[in-house]
Amino acid sequence: MLAVSSEFGGGTSDSVSGALVPFLPCAEASVVYPLHHGLKPPISRVSISWARGSSLRISLFKSSSSESDADGEVGGKVLEVRLGGDGEMSDAQWRRIAYGSVSPFALLQSRKNSVAGFSKMQLSPSLYHLEWWEYVMEYSKDIDVLLGNSKPLTARVIGDQQEILKNREAPTSVKAAWELMEIFYADKLSKAWLPERLVDWLADYDSLLSSTQTTVHSKLVEFQSQLIKLQIIEDESTYWEVLASALAVGWLEIVVKLLRLHGSYHLDQIAKREIENGLVEAVAVLVSKMPRMRPEIEAGELGECFKAKPDFMKAWERWRAQVTKLDSSAFWVQCTHRLTRGGLRNMLQIMLGNLNVLCSATYHWIELYISHFLYIRPLTRGLENMYNLAQKCLQLKPTSCPDKLARLLIGILGENTEVVLAECSRGFGPWMVSHAIELLTAESNQAGILLHEERHSLGEISMEELHRLIYAQVLSSHVLTWQIAPIYLASCIKQGMGLLEILLNRQPIQDSKILLKNLEICRLYDLDSVSTNIMKIAGVYHWKHGRKGSGVFWLQQAHDERCLNRIAQQLFDYVGKSISGECFLQWEGLIELLGSESKHAGGLEFLHKYRDLKKSLQHFDHGKTVIAAQEAVESLMSLMKNPSTPQRFWLPLLYDSLKLLSWREQPLLNVSQTNLLLNKLQELSMARLRPDFVEADLPPQALNSVRLALATNLGRAILEEK
Amino acid sequence: MAITGLPKPPEIHRLTQSKYIDSVRWLPSVSPFQKHVIVAFFDVDTDTPSLEIHSLDPPKPLVPLSLWTPPSRISSLKTTRSVAAASTISGSVHIFVTGVERHDISGLEPVFTVVGKEFHMGSVNGVDLMEGNSECVSVGDDGRVNLVNFGVEGSFGKGSYRKVFDGNGLVSYTAVKWASPSEFVTGGYGFGLQWWDIRRPGEAVGQFKGNWNHGKTSGIIHSIDIHPSRKHTCLAGGSTGTVFAWDLRSQQQPIILSGVGTGETMTHPLSESEVWEVQCDCYIKSSSRGLSSSRILPAMFCSEDGILAVVEQGEEPTELLAEPCAINSFDIDLQNPSDIICSLEWESIAIVSRP
Repeated sequence: MLAVSSEFGGGTSDSVSGALVPFLPCAEASVVYPLHHGLKPPISRVSISWARGSSLRISLFKSSSSESDADGEVGGKVLEVRLGGDGEMSDAQWRRIAYGSVSPFALLQSRKNSVAGFSKMQLSPSLYHLEWWEYVMEYSKDIDVLLGNSKPLTARVIGDQQEILKNREAPTSVKAAWELMEIFYADKLSKAWLPERLVDWLADYDSLLSSTQTTVHSKLVEFQSQLIKLQIIEDESTYWEVLASALAVGWLEIVVKLLRLHGSYHLDQIAKREIENGLVEAVAVLVSKMPRMRPEIEAGELGECFKAKPDFMKAWERWRAQVTKLDSSAFWVQCTHRLTRGGLRNMLQIMLGNLNVLCSATYHWIELYISHFLYIRPLTRGLENMYNLAQKCLQLKPTSCPDKLARLLIGILGENTEVVLAECSRGFGPWMVSHAIELLTAESNQAGILLHEERHSLGEISMEELHRLIYAQVLSSHVLTWQIAPIYLASCIKQGMGLLEILLNRQPIQDSKILLKNLEICRLYDLDSVSTNIMKIAGVYHWKHGRKGSGVFWLQQAHDERCLNRIAQQLFDYVGKSISGECFLQWEGLIELLGSESKHAGGLEFLHKYRDLKKSLQHFDHGKTVIAAQEAVESLMSLMKNPSTPQRFWLPLLYDSLKLLSWREQPLLNVSQTNLLLNKLQELSMARLRPDFVEADLPPQALNSVRLALATNLGRAILEEK
Repeated sequence: MAITGLPKPPEIHRLTQSKYIDSVRWLPSVSPFQKHVIVAFFDVDTDTPSLEIHSLDPPKPLVPLSLWTPPSRISSLKTTRSVAAASTISGSVHIFVTGVERHDISGLEPVFTVVGKEFHMGSVNGVDLMEGNSECVSVGDDGRVNLVNFGVEGSFGKGSYRKVFDGNGLVSYTAVKWASPSEFVTGGYGFGLQWWDIRRPGEAVGQFKGNWNHGKTSGIIHSIDIHPSRKHTCLAGGSTGTVFAWDLRSQQQPIILSGVGTGETMTHPLSESEVWEVQCDCYIKSSSRGLSSSRILPAMFCSEDGILAVVEQGEEPTELLAEPCAINSFDIDLQNPSDIICSLEWESIAIVSRP
């Protein structure tokens, strides 16, 4: 649901009338986007349409019969409203993830191609030294780093005695989801220790399970804030509740740390409360000695780790026996502090796996689920068993609106690839789906078949390609990320290249930097036809906006002779006006651009030659030497012979070279040259009869004086040649 | 990332921003521990450009000191010891005092602004300042070359400009660089360079024709640099990975330092895409011998395909940085030439410190 309300910057304090559409603030899931349109009410019309990407274009119109036109106010305004995601991450953060995931993705794709190449050549797999899942793991780790840092912000040299929760960067649910999929799909080594991996996962991300309901984490945060005010900690029932909860989800360090805050440790009390203190310490020791079946335990974490099942079983039985022994100890009777006695025995029940106690110590079903792995069924194996257990926990702790992480976990445990994909897409968006597919297909052949199979219903593309195309579309819709869309499009065999061409053709050409970046992508993907097209568009754009030089440059780059010829005609009109004078300076730059070869200059070749003629005529004027004269004649002849020289320039050209034709020292043109020029003159006279002929801006006697000069020259040339 | 040629790899810090960086320059610093940079940002989400001064202490993030909102995106940014000049894509030029003594001011306000249809139409593509000179040269898409005089130092506030040349759009200039207080070089389409002398206005005094690579596709000059000690040699970089030097004394023969299509000399060019910026690199490696005045100074360039490298005549190029995205601009710290700041396409800044 979308409700639009307007906001006037510093306007009237009571802006009840400011709302365009009445909206109910109590309506759930409604998002308010303030519009800073700066228009004075009343607004007569509002139109809403889709804009680029996931943004709305909102056009606001004032009533047309507005009398306030005098103060020069605009009649309306068009705004774009970007519809945000869940607000967990800003657009800039998402872009950072998009940028960062390009390299790992491209690396994995190229490895996939080379592995496919190897298997085609039927080389033994031992040739590549790593198994495929190890490559996927590398990729997964790279992405995981990108999604945020879950390590403590500052390494503490001296631990704060009162600090029970480590100060961390707030974890993101995207990272949590990614790690969850990594545990189940990519990390082959974690298969044997799945339950313990989940315990660790929950320790990192428990705070994300629910934002509204209590979790063990939120309970601890709350307790932490009260801690400083508490005088006698063991007299608080919350202290014991928090202890039980932390123990239930296996946060052993926190439990031990909290236990040591017990009042009986105080030096002035230890004598009076010897037995009580002994009991507290006994529980703390038992907690810290809890056997865990996992490959390793990080420094600072508690518990004893066992890698092999028989060793673990032995230790587990022994540990439970010790717990039972303590539970039935006679010392409890002598413990006078009621809350301590009750709290500690409750903790022992947790360690013994008492389901009722566990249920009351945990809040979210996943917490209960994790406590099962710790205290009831530490040897749970196989996804089916885990799924059944999850269902059981869900029944015990039903939730009205399941969280996206919980839904994803259920999907994974249910071994349903389509559900997992759907949950990824629903909860985390197209980036997640297109990148998580690599994890899903890391090992499971079934998922691989499902995702790579071409489907008729999808237009003969696979699910994998479909999701990549969707993600590429999202990237394409933003000015900063469109440049990385080609990487994803190129990995789509069926429709990728077609969409890539559309994307490149659609980019704006106004900004020359963006244009060049666009052309660079064309070059990388060998899309010569697209780049030619883009250059043509850019050429015409610049030409139309009066930047003739850049227009000519781009059209030359595009080898567009047709267009160059057309603009040449327009240019000549311009030339006709400005060039006939001596002011040729402005043209220098453009003519330089055309180059000496002018291969791709089309009709503009004329300009270049005309400039040469002008130069040699100037030389001739200054020096009056035979060599300069002959040079000038040569360029005049090549101009007159060249078919690209427009007819209307013939007479001005000849008129400009009048001095050349009537040079007294010697005739400079031979008979055949003179004849050619006379023929041209004749042709010109014929053309003048046509209605569309444009008269050159010359004195009326120009034609006659040229004709006379030519005739004189002809006579002299005939004499000379004899 | 492959880093070759250096005995010890340079130290690299990447500082991610949440805005696009149009340009970045060092500012003179008061102390070696306190470095300042001026950055032209563009916030895509809100569609607002900004020019900001930040203090820099990698790997810690940038600390903003002052900010000014230009009328449109910054197209070119240059600094000297005391002054900075910024041009915009809408055709204005703004002059700022950035001297050390002015760092305490929280607002970054231009001391002189030129704007208007008479000045530049469309984007101003390049500006340049010269140390100790109070003139800023600007060139644009419209083919105009203007000199903005912002007064003698000490009496900022009044200023004027005059037109050196109006190309009427028949040419477009993309880069400009002072060679001496009265000479400058412009560059543009077709790999052309023009040498101007303001004592002889109205026309370029020297033309370098860009058609030396016959038959190959032509390109655009994006950046020019001239070292104050070698004012006759002009270093230019542009399309297809081209970096070349033009010696005014041997006019039509460029010395190609890097690029495609130079056949014999360069078998494997470092980059084949746009070279966005090029600067003379005065950083002397401890191992190298003294630089004779006949040699071209080493040139540092950054490119669209993410390369930051140093090329030298007749030497193996040294790659300093290879990024997966474009490096759009860079600046060598004049006070400490081992430090380089680069702006990357993916909304981040990289700081390279050479050993």
